[in-house]
Amino acid sequence: MREFFEISDRFIEAADANGLLYEPLDGGLTFRRTRRYEVEFEGDKSALESFVRKTLLDEISQDFHEGDAPALKGFTFVLEYGMKPGALDLEKEAILTYYRGIKDPGFELKDLKIRQQLYVFDAKATDSDRFIRDICNGAIHNWSVIQGAN
Amino acid sequence: MEERPCAVLLKFPGTNCDEETARALEAVGFVTEVIPISVLKPEKLVGVSLVVLSGGFSYGDYVMAGRLARLVTEQKVGETLKEFRDNGGYLLGICNGFQILTQLDLLPAGSLVENTSGRFQCQWVTLKNRAPESPFLSGLPESFEFPIAHAEGRLVTTESSEAAGYLESGAAALTYSTDVNGSFEQIAGLQDESGRVFGLMPHPERFMSQEDHYDPDWSNGQGGDETRGSGYYLFRSLYDSVTSTSE
Repeated sequence: MREFFEISDRFIEAADANGLLYEPLDGGLTFRRTRRYEVEFEGDKSALESFVRKTLLDEISQDFHEGDAPALKGFTFVLEYGMKPGALDLEKEAILTYYRGIKDPGFELKDLKIRQQLYVFDAKATDSDRFIRDICNGAIHNWSVIQGAN
Repeated sequence: MEERPCAVLLKFPGTNCDEETARALEAVGFVTEVIPISVLKPEKLVGVSLVVLSGGFSYGDYVMAGRLARLVTEQKVGETLKEFRDNGGYLLGICNGFQILTQLDLLPAGSLVENTSGRFQCQWVTLKNRAPESPFLSGLPESFEFPIAHAEGRLVTTESSEAAGYLESGAAALTYSTDVNGSFEQIAGLQDESGRVFGLMPHPERFMSQEDHYDPDWSNGQGGDETRGSGYYLFRSLYDSVTSTSE
């Protein structure tokens, strides 16, 4: 079975997206980041959700979204990127090491993918190429772009 | 022969301020031992007066600062640190250690999130001592300086009224004199109800002497050896409190 969870920061507001680029673009485009977890598992789904909430969510400062749809609305595009299969993902390894130390977690974690979601607002759809060029590293990352409804 | 109180510094993968914090503690009279979390057992804290979580980037700040350190600590030693506190022990968290203490629910509820600047901030700040009775702050004046170095030092609470409540209750033992990083109520440090658990984002161990200060003419104005930095007085206050309660 596969589940998607996305976690966004409640107190971090949209910031100037030009700060992410080597050369600024025209306009007042902004961005927010979230983190998306794709989990393959077998067993009790509620135990998995409990694990995710305890391990990956900060109840005070973050919001929890379940499902495949983007957590934020009104974006021009979302650049989703993460480590390529086979590339060393130390964050994933740290989470898996913790999981392996849990006695009887109630589910079996088969695979975990961690994806950074960069939501860009008030940009042009074609601006995504510049973000890919300046943020993603083809040697270790793979990525995709989700265009907004507008 | 006088028996010196023992301080244990817990070291996580990525903790990197333990050596200078140990030196600061030894300078005021503690004996210290650095214990990697991988070998921590409850019995290692028997006879220990103080547990310190020093600064750094435990577990690379993965997931969020202090999160994995909390999970691993709970997995390895369960409620040991809470029991240590309940039995009269002192706990100090500096920078990443403060983040870990908040995650472990050893301090009033709050989270340390990304600075409003969106940047890592490395600078000197002026602080206001709001808890002159605190075992950690009793030797410090109303206002003093410490350096900070953090990207996630903005203290937030679920509702902003909670942070305001911390000012009223005295839990907010230390505040910035200006809005440094967006912390609610400019909170720089929290203490628990017992006063024996204290966490702060600034680094007292980096200001042990006049030479550490950016102004070569700085003096503490507290009498005695005026070349001692404000950090010395934080650790000395703690030493005095620990030794007076153990007598």
